[in-house]
Amino acid sequence: MIDVLTEHWSEFSSGWWVTVQIIAGSFGIAMVVGTFVAAFRIAPNKWLQRLGGLYVEVFRNIPLLVLLFISFAGLRRAGVDIGPWVAGIASLGLYTAAYVAEALRSGVFSVGKGQIEASLSLGFSYAETLRRIVLPQAFRTVIAPLGSLTIAMIKNSAIVGVSLLALPDLLKQARVVSARTFQTDETFFWAAVGYIILTGAATLIFRALEKRFAIAR
Amino acid sequence: MSYLFSPDNWEWLWTGNNARFILEGFLINLEIAVISIIFALIFGLVLALLRLSVLKPVSFLAGAWVDVFRNLPLIFLILYFALGLPQSWKQAWEDAMPSWAPEAFQSGLVLGAFMGLILYNSAVLAEIMRAGILSLPKGQGEAASALGMTRRQALRYVILPQGLRRMVPATVSQLITLNKDTTLVSIIAITEVMRRGRIVTSSGFFGDVTAPILQVFIFIGFLFVVVNYLLSRLSRRLEIRERKITGTKLKRVGGLEDQVAADPV
Repeated sequence: MIDVLTEHWSEFSSGWWVTVQIIAGSFGIAMVVGTFVAAFRIAPNKWLQRLGGLYVEVFRNIPLLVLLFISFAGLRRAGVDIGPWVAGIASLGLYTAAYVAEALRSGVFSVGKGQIEASLSLGFSYAETLRRIVLPQAFRTVIAPLGSLTIAMIKNSAIVGVSLLALPDLLKQARVVSARTFQTDETFFWAAVGYIILTGAATLIFRALEKRFAIAR
Repeated sequence: MSYLFSPDNWEWLWTGNNARFILEGFLINLEIAVISIIFALIFGLVLALLRLSVLKPVSFLAGAWVDVFRNLPLIFLILYFALGLPQSWKQAWEDAMPSWAPEAFQSGLVLGAFMGLILYNSAVLAEIMRAGILSLPKGQGEAASALGMTRRQALRYVILPQGLRRMVPATVSQLITLNKDTTLVSIIAITEVMRRGRIVTSSGFFGDVTAPILQVFIFIGFLFVVVNYLLSRLSRRLEIRERKITGTKLKRVGGLEDQVAADPV
């Protein structure tokens, strides 16, 4: 069982590392874009709200695979070649950003209206209220959903690698090894271990964050 | 932009049978999603009940099973079952499939796709159902046993009817995710909408009009957005209705993209 792993260690480790890089890049994009979209959705301007809403509905309801086809093969045929790395990370990041935006928005709404009114009547400005009262509390409630989204994103990174983009991630390397050795069960077992390590690590990190920022009751 | 909206690049949509060909492919995706969700609901309920079993080893094993399948990428499971299932199983599937079934279902690889989709989604739904059952106030189960019901009767007549009703909105939103995930079966060469899109883009399939990849897949994406948007509206409406009836707050189930489950207040 272990010999498949040791003999093909270079494939497994390089694939795992590519997966980690895809995840890290997409996570960054998802957080930044998600924050902006969430800001749009709670902005006082009605058109900005609609724009944010349109983004969320489109990117949440479209299959990731379709996004990958559009961003890589589609754009390349149109004369815009952004390469597999950019296309893969951007697709996964923008897709996850729609979910992040929804999580952040519901976090902001979870802060009671009375808090904001109290803060304003104490003489805080709107910006100060947001920064000192709303966001610190919203952050706490948002940690758990963000953890779920990160785990879903880790799992979705396999779609990026396995679709037409030539990114040699963990799953793609597992296919290569299984085609070479014919030991499908063993190869996929070790790839599964690789994914469980990633999702398990994300679970532990977000659980620790949740504990660290939990409200003492 | 001019490339995107140029009428020449959209001409394929009105030419020949292109649009119909893609729509038929999309229908296959919906069929796969519906079949998978039905089986996933059945297996999910079994898994949820096993996990809530009073026998410790049974509940531990069911929990481990659910956690493993929930934490693996779906595409990983589909690929594994497509590659790893014994040839004889695939052959048996091909022999058993009646000739009137859609062409995409004739391939033995579909069995692998269904196994991946059902195992993954049953694990996800099991977790949703467990949250729903646990969200019931403890008094419900206690009252049932005080009335002299056995545990089985309490489940059958008191707990499940209430717990599962709370799960309807979450199940509909899982159907949205599943609907998107059906595109993954194109990776193992099943001719659903993604494959059909590729076929349409390969030059000269219907007439001499070229169908650019960008426009074809934007059209396919549009189909998914429309259907899934309607489903999400339905889910939202069911959620609000449920909240009005039961007065429960909603809580997110971990490890999922956008699942909510009822939470005891």
